[in-house]
Order: sequence, then C-alpha cells, then structure tokens
Amino acid sequence: MSDKLTEGEREVLRELLNLSQRVQTSQLASNLKQGEERVISILNSLASRNLVKIHAREIVSYSLTDEGIEYADIGLPEIRLFNAVKSLGGKASFDDAVGKAGLDAETKGIAMNWARKNEWLQISKEEGTTVLQCLVELDQWDVSDLLEDLSTGKGTLSEKYAESLKQALERKLVYEIVTKKFEAEIVQAEIREIEQLIEVGVKGIGNLTPELLASDAWRNVSFRPYNVDIKPAYGNYGKKHPYAEFNDWLREIMVGLGFTEWYGPYVETEFWAHDTLFVPQDHVAREVQDQFRISDPYDHGHILDKKYYREVKAVHENGGNTGSKGWDWPYSKEVATRLCLRPHTTPVSMRYLYEHRESPQKMFIIDRNFRSETLSATHAQEFDQCEGIIMDKGLALRDLLGYLTSICKGVGIEKLKFKPGQFPFTEPSVETFGKHKEIGWIELGGSGIFRPEVTQPLGIRDPVLAWGIGAGRLYMASMGINDIRDLFSRDLNWLRRSYFVR
Amino acid sequence: MIVECRIDDLLSLIGKKLTLKQLEDTLFLVKAEVEKVDGNIIEIEVNPDRQDMLSAEGIARAVRSFLCIETGLKKYPVKKSGRQVIVKPGLSKIRPFICCSILRGVPSDDELIKEYMHLQDALTSTHGRNRNKASIGLYVYNDLNFPVFYGLQKPEKIRFVPLGHEVEMDGPTIMTEHEKGIEFGSIIQRHKRWPLLFDSNNQVLSLPPIINSNSLGRITTETKNIFVEVTGTHLPTVHQALNIITASLAERGGKIESVTVVYPNGTIDETPNFNPEVMKIPINDINSLIGLNMTEKQIVQALERMGYGAKLTQTDQVQVMIPKFRMDILHPVDIIEDVAIGYGFDRLEPRMPQTMTTGKLNHVTRIKNKVRDLMVGMGYQEIMNYIMSSPELLNDKMLRKRPLVTTGNPKSRNYSVLRNSLLPVVLEFASQNQHTDYPQKIYEVGDVAIPDDTQETCVDQVTSVCGLVTDVKVNITNLMTEIGFLLRNLGLDERFTFESEDSSDFIEGRSACIKIDGEVCGSFGEISPMILSNFGIGYPVIAFELIMHRITEWFT
Repeated sequence: MSDKLTEGEREVLRELLNLSQRVQTSQLASNLKQGEERVISILNSLASRNLVKIHAREIVSYSLTDEGIEYADIGLPEIRLFNAVKSLGGKASFDDAVGKAGLDAETKGIAMNWARKNEWLQISKEEGTTVLQCLVELDQWDVSDLLEDLSTGKGTLSEKYAESLKQALERKLVYEIVTKKFEAEIVQAEIREIEQLIEVGVKGIGNLTPELLASDAWRNVSFRPYNVDIKPAYGNYGKKHPYAEFNDWLREIMVGLGFTEWYGPYVETEFWAHDTLFVPQDHVAREVQDQFRISDPYDHGHILDKKYYREVKAVHENGGNTGSKGWDWPYSKEVATRLCLRPHTTPVSMRYLYEHRESPQKMFIIDRNFRSETLSATHAQEFDQCEGIIMDKGLALRDLLGYLTSICKGVGIEKLKFKPGQFPFTEPSVETFGKHKEIGWIELGGSGIFRPEVTQPLGIRDPVLAWGIGAGRLYMASMGINDIRDLFSRDLNWLRRSYFVR
Repeated sequence: MIVECRIDDLLSLIGKKLTLKQLEDTLFLVKAEVEKVDGNIIEIEVNPDRQDMLSAEGIARAVRSFLCIETGLKKYPVKKSGRQVIVKPGLSKIRPFICCSILRGVPSDDELIKEYMHLQDALTSTHGRNRNKASIGLYVYNDLNFPVFYGLQKPEKIRFVPLGHEVEMDGPTIMTEHEKGIEFGSIIQRHKRWPLLFDSNNQVLSLPPIINSNSLGRITTETKNIFVEVTGTHLPTVHQALNIITASLAERGGKIESVTVVYPNGTIDETPNFNPEVMKIPINDINSLIGLNMTEKQIVQALERMGYGAKLTQTDQVQVMIPKFRMDILHPVDIIEDVAIGYGFDRLEPRMPQTMTTGKLNHVTRIKNKVRDLMVGMGYQEIMNYIMSSPELLNDKMLRKRPLVTTGNPKSRNYSVLRNSLLPVVLEFASQNQHTDYPQKIYEVGDVAIPDDTQETCVDQVTSVCGLVTDVKVNITNLMTEIGFLLRNLGLDERFTFESEDSSDFIEGRSACIKIDGEVCGSFGEISPMILSNFGIGYPVIAFELIMHRITEWFT
C-alpha cells in the first residue's frame, strides 16, 4: 500500500480531527456529504494503517413471522384453548374445547403442548375421554403482549419480555433483525503522524477532464492515486429473484431438450382438473380438505366442448370404447363444472393435448399449483411444479425412464432410482428418487404413461409419457433452504444478498 | 396409506428370513415403502390402488409371490355353509347391497384383533369412501341365529347397546351421542327408515354403516368363528371389500364358508366368490408398452410373481386370471404395469427415445422476461409473492371494493382469495422491509385473477407488472421516465399516453392512468398517505401497475 493518502482519506481524517471525538459514521458521512458506505470503506482502509479506530455496535430489533402475525391477529392457540375451557366452565372435554376454540389439526397440537408446559391446564382421562381443567387464572400473558407490541410496530422491546422473547424466537413467531452501526475515532497516539500526512498532501490531478485531453496537457501532469485495493461496499442494484432465475434455468433445460412451453389457468373446472384425467368423481383428492374450492363470486364454470364432455362422461361411467370398465358410478355435471384451484399442472397437459392431437409432441410447463395446506416450515398452500409430456408412436415405459434420466442429469442429478407408483391417470406409473449431492436421496416427482381412458376420448392412440418434478423442492435443495416459506421470502435484505448461479 | 406391522409377525407370514434391508428393497419394488422402523414395529406406506395390501397378511402375500416363495394365483377354498342372509324390500335407494362370509377357526389374540380392526378401518375409509360405498362388520358367529335379516327400521324403534358402550341407545341417540354416529350419521340420517341388520331372535347385529352392537359385534380373544358382513351402495366395491378382508382372515388360518344372500326380487348371490376374472392380452401390447422383448414364458413368470394366474393361448395372447382381491384392474394396461413390476423395475434399462421436436418458450414467458430485464436495467429488485392473499390486504387496506376470486374452504384468512392486483401485494412487501437500506426499488411480474363469468372458468387470468420505489424523498418524474422507457422498449412509443386521473390509491393530482391505443392498461402515482398508514409504511412511495394482457396479444 502506498504511504500516501488519497484525497478521500485526507478528507475523512481532517473531519475527524475537527470533531476530535468518537463519532457515528452516519454523522461523519452527512458532514462530508458522502455516502455512508463509502465513508466506511475509507475508514476501513485507514484502520488497516492504524490511523483510526472503528467500533461496531449491533442493534437488535425484532419482527413477526407470518405465523406470528396470524397469532397476533387471532390469538395464540394455547390462549384460545385455555379461554375455551374457561368459557366452558373451567372444565371441558378436549374435543369440545378444541371445537370451541376453533383450532385445526395442527394448531390443536401446539395449543395442548404449550398449555401443558405452562401448567395452565390439567389433562386427565375420564371414562376414556380426555378432559381439560383450568389450573390458573390467566388475565395476561407476556407472549401475547409481546406479539401485540411487535404487531403495532414496536421493534425494540422492554426488559420484561426477555423470557417470552426466548420462547417466541424458539417457536419461530418472531425473528431477529440485526443492524450494525459504526463509530470512528482518531488513534490519539498517531495524531502527529496524521497531521503530517494531511499536510504533505498528494501531488497530482484529481479528475481527467475533456479540456486536459483536448489540449494534450495530460502529457505533463501526474495523477493523484486512489485507494483501489480495498473491498468495495455492498451495492443494491436491480436483479432478479434467485427462485425466478432457477425457474428460468429449468425452462432453458426443457427447451434444450425440445419441449415447447405451455400455459393454463390457476382456477379450473374439475372437468379439466380431474375428470379428463380419469380421477373418479368421489376421489379423496377432490375433497375440501385436499383442494381449494372456489365459492365466490362464481362457484361453477362452463363446459365448452359438449362432444368431448360426453366422451369423458362415458369413460367414467362404463369405460366408453376404451376397453376399460370405467368407474361404474354415475357421473355428475355438477361435480364436473365445480371450480377449484388446480392442485397440479396436469390439466395444462390435457389442455395442450386437446389442441395438439398429432404425434410427435413435447410440452412442458413450470407454474404454480395449490393445495389446501396450512402454511408451515414444511407445507405451503402454493408450490411450483415442472411438468411435461411426450407423445409419439411406439413410446414405452423404458423411454419414460430415459427422459427422466436426461432431465435429471440436466439439473445435475446423476444417480436415480425408479419405484413403481400409482396415479389415477397413468399406468404404468413411476416414482423417481434422485441422489442429491448435499442432502441424499430425495423424491423428485411422479410420472407414467397416460391411461387409455385419458387419451382416447381425445382420439389419441399413441402413447403419451407424462412426468412432473417439484421445482420448489429442487430449488430448496440446491440453495440449502430448509423452510418452504423462504421460497417466497419477504426479506429484502436476504434477496439483495442472495443469488442463483449455475 | 400407512400400514403398521410387527416385523416378527410379518416375517413369519412371509415365511423366509429377510434382513430389514432386504425387506425394504423388496417392498420398494412392489410399490410399497418403509416409512419408519421402531423396535419391532414397522410402518409401511402402501399405494392407494393396492387395497389388498392394507394388512400384514396382504403385504406378506405380495412379498411371498414376488420372492417366488409361492407364485401364481392364490387359491382360497370356500365351503358352502348353507346359512342365509335375507334382504328385505325398501333398501334399493338407501344401501341396497350386502355380501357375507364365515370364517371358522380364526386365531385371535389382542394384537391380531387390533390388526383386523385396522384393516377394517383402512378399507372402509379408502376403498369404501368413508363408509359411503361400503362398510364392514365382524361378528361372533356362534352367537347368531340364522337366517340373518337385512332390512329397514324407524330410527326411534332401533334399540341396542352400541359397541364400546354399556347402555342401550335408540337410533336418534346414537346419531347425536355416539362418536361414530356423529362422524358417519350423515350417510343415512336423511332417510325416514335406517338400514338394520338383525338375526332370527331379533337381536341387532349392527346399524350399518354406523356401529355394531356390543353383544354380537365385539370380537374377543375367545372368538374362534367370525361372521363378516359388508353393506354398501356399489356392488363391485362391496364384493371386493369382502374378498379382501376374507382373504386376510384366511391367510391367518381361518376356513372360509360362503353365505347365501337372497334379495327381495329373488336374486341369489352366493358370497364370497373367489373365481378369478379372466382377461386376454396380446403379447405384443405388453412388450410395446414396456419397451421390452419378453418371451411368452417370461411374461407368464412375471405375472405369476405378481400373484396372477397366467397361461398362453394359441393366438399370441396371454390369458390372465385376476385374483378377486385386486380391485385396481380396470384395463389391460393395469396388468401390463404388473408385468413390468414382476420383471423388476430395477432391471428396466432407460432408453433414450428419438422423438425429434424443436422446443420454444411460450410467448407470454418471453414478454415477461423482456419486462423483467427492463425492470432490472432500471435498478429494480425482483420479488415473488404468493398468488393467494386476503380481502383485508387487497381491498380494505387499499380502500378498494373490487371483486375477488374467493375460496370456500380456506385454511387461513391470510390466504383465502386470489390476488386481483399486484400493487397491494408489493406494498405489503415494502411494509415488511422498513428496516432495510433505502432507496428501495422493487418489482414483481406475475398473474392476477379477476372474476369474469364469460370465461370457461369464470376467471380472467392476466399478467401484470408492478414497480415500486420508496425513499426519504421520491420523484414522480423519474418514475414517469422509467414507465416510458419500459413501454418504448416494448415497441409502444406511438401508442401509449398518460392521462391524469384521480384514484383512491394515489394522492390527488399526482396520479394518472396508462392508456395503450386509448385503452386503460394501468396506472401510476404517489401512494396516498391514507393507504401508507393502513400498511404502516413510514416513507413516501411511488408505484405503477400495468396489466400486460393486451400487450402480450399484440406480439402474437
């Protein structure tokens, strides 16, 4: 490093001498009318020469997670359970209390766990039923107050919350935000040295100007050195979301393999979402606990192609002319036109085949699907699927395995295992497991050959191979993300620092 | 479906010493997966099509034949008992079908009884569609007086002690007080009279499909002979359920006897019936769907390994005898899959097909990518949000009253509707990041859903782009320049106009709509302080949103 100081360094030192006390870098930056990050980088360089000292101070504040926001709104599950027991006279059966508190399968576990840990409720068995009894009078609860305070925008917290904060962090209701503040001061022992360095100055020219270039005067001047061997400051420029870039990369791989991208709507009639795929109309996947139904402002859609509708209906009722027995069960138009959020991207494959019935065809889609789940670390109500079909004469199960192998190789998974699987719309069906270099064997997705009951109503006789891969799961594996909620992170800091590279 | 087995019991049913690893690998190849092992207990996940594998006996049977310990069609000898079940008139619109069997000499200890109950539960919940299509009852055979009657009774006249209780209840009481009545009552409650199974001494066996009686329908370690009954609304489902549970009890050592069911119209059904169904499949169809060149002998072997009976016919076809407990065989392709499984998925070599196609991105994706590139070029950070949101966020906080595509069964209010606009979602994101370095420039490109009865799915789904800038001080002229840059680079220089327009989203006099070819496609402006305060945002914000569906149409 040069002994000389840059102009920027001298400016900062001069100001520090002026102030002759420890000062916040933000203050310093505003005095100098400079960006704080630039001032910090200059200070770092000066600190490395032991001319200034930098003190870092971490300021911790807290914010609510999605789960925390929900509880701040509707109350902690254990409080709701406790209040339910209390309102039922201080003693009630577990099922009654859960019903009264309006808890679902997941939150009732949380509620019991904490109500027991906190010794609020006594749990006993009476005649085979679980009975809860209030053990305390509970007027106020720190964890609730804490969530309340945070939800009203208080980032810093009073001391009395120490214990409840610990609990809230453990339960992932609250997360910590650490901001760093810096202060700087002159190293007093070096003050003479500093003064000299400032005095000496640096000879030379700051800016190369058009005039200097035009007049050729640049030949006779020297240029002042700048400090360029420092680590640059972080910059916040425009860029894409890493998960979006991952999906862009998947698209590139699919196009490279000769697949054409297609699209389809999030809201589907059950006709497209299930019937065309030969999923029986009373299948559990259609139940309200599995898929979202649309209730408002319209709850039923329309059938556009009556002829195709009749073909599909016949296949369900008696197999039509496909050689299948069908489901031997009445087929309902009410169910067929019911609206749902598509639970998989396979209806898009059907919509594509509907418009492209001649071989050969290769289609793919990467897009959102919906399942009736409560948002947690492992489940989300939305997920992306990468799905494709291949239609050609003479295709067979072994060709499907071939495609799966080349697609998985494309995304960097070399080792695969195939297991016979089951999906209502494919036969044979295959589940694919891949060995991921960081996390071991993971289930990549399902695939198979569309059943004749699926393709023949469209007049398609050639085999159609179909496969799907959980795009989000693959992305999480490659980014080392464990919490599914981080796919759609709402943390701008995280986004600014994260990247996807392949 | 998870089936819980005792490892020692399972291995003794299989009849061969296997290490846990060998067992796991074998199960993997016959469509089942080991989920968890804890001491002697193993949890096995069975695919929903293999209802015949919902018990230790069923899993063992599949493994035995796959490991060639006992291949081919399993024979279950059935002796006629001469006993009758008489169906009374009136059930045809309520729960018309019943099938029965008798098993003599069934071993029973506490563990086994628990397993029989598990199988019964698993079958009625999946195969029986939560007892709607079929439900099963097991009874102490020796305590029954034949013939048994299956008829109808008025709810208040139904009186018996339900299983697990000590007090007699009448029909309506069972529906309101008994846990099974509460859970399954809706299946029959709407009828004036309810199905009832009773014997010649007028003792009640059960109120199908709700609950057995405690005196006749409680299997104990003393019970040696069991009467099995399945009622339901779909005859094939009722037969299959009976076959599966009868075969399981027979695997434990029970001797099967048949029962004669007499319907009111004189139809007679001797059940159970294990005569296999026969399907003929061309050898060529098998090889072409799997992609192999198996010989006829290899195909027969593979089928026998999967528990089918199989023989060749002269016409290049294989004749397949399908076991009566397999309910998943609707079409020859279902058997062809089993040929592939019997051949061994681990032996199938992937083959790279020659199908030649040229791939391309969808035009909407290309336009989206173009817009994303332009936004990034102007310094915006891309964000991604859920499609699902809440009416509070989309309408209340925004002071809007726009129609929303709404779900009828949301898990939480926060994710109960589809977003109809990106601006509220992006504002919400900004409100969560007020501690983050400024300035903040963020954007999202994504779809929004707007109710529209004229569409097939009553929804118009369109792509939208929203950009947002927040800082201590914001500059609307810069934003206008940026929107101009975006539109000009989409080739719309001559076609777009901004026209000042007041909206509740923005500060009066500081907003405009964006028109393309004279049609409103979006808007921009400085967000009104009322809305900022609704979102709890403490800095000024400028933003724009542009619906891209018209734009994308111009490029096709």
